[in-house]
Amino acid sequence: MTVPLGAYVAVSAVLFFIGCAGVLTRRNAVVILMCVELMLNAANLALVAFSRKYGSIDERGSVFVVFVFVVAAAEVAVGLAIILSAYRNRPEVNVDEIHQMKG
Amino acid sequence: MTFDFVEPVVFALLSIGVIAGGAAVVLLNRITAAALLMAFTFLCMAGMFVLLGAETIAAFQVLIYVGAITVLILYGVMFTKFSDGPRALFFQKQTPIAAVFVAAVAIPVALFSFTFTSAPPRPGGGDLPALATSVFTDFAFPFEIASVLLLAAMVGAIALTRRDDPEEAAMRRRR
Repeated sequence: MTVPLGAYVAVSAVLFFIGCAGVLTRRNAVVILMCVELMLNAANLALVAFSRKYGSIDERGSVFVVFVFVVAAAEVAVGLAIILSAYRNRPEVNVDEIHQMKG
Repeated sequence: MTFDFVEPVVFALLSIGVIAGGAAVVLLNRITAAALLMAFTFLCMAGMFVLLGAETIAAFQVLIYVGAITVLILYGVMFTKFSDGPRALFFQKQTPIAAVFVAAVAIPVALFSFTFTSAPPRPGGGDLPALATSVFTDFAFPFEIASVLLLAAMVGAIALTRRDDPEEAAMRRRR
């Protein structure tokens, strides 16, 4: 017996909810970035699993996974740059304390 | 003797690794350990991609996530002072409502995910030929756009973190 597709989708959903909980509850900006990466990875797993089921000829789902990789890399680079430049202004990574631009 | 039992066992181990690693990232207070456990989660996820027959994606995952993104995050951890305020600030008063909302979303998702029962079919010869054909024919233009996006992100990251020290700039001009 092999592993059903639903198991992969379930793992993906669980990881997505874990990442979502992390984004909502953690206050450290770097940890929030890490949790966003977890959510993106969960979406990748679902994409690959469904691509395996429905598109085994042209691999469209896997192409989207490649694009998600690209966007995730860009997001981490720019996100960390923003965190570090904000940190240089004021040594603080707690997102509740970073409110200089709040109206 | 058949080896049909190997795949479910490997899947179970990998899913335990993924979920435990993800939960540790969210729950651990030691931020360096959280970053390294995030790398472990990504490695287990690469194993899942191999199990699904997407070896190329698994290789990308190891290169980009375990290699590049984890190193970047670790740099971010080292450059910033550790601070994590009270954990439950966001849901201080709304915990019951949040529980109801999460149950309302998560239970249908869990039930729905188990309606896909058929095993994923296995293609022969890996996923690289099909992936490459798609990327360089139908998705050639988005692929180029992605390279422009990466260039823009690189330039943006350098511009954001560059130090504009007037003395340093004067020294550079003098040289």
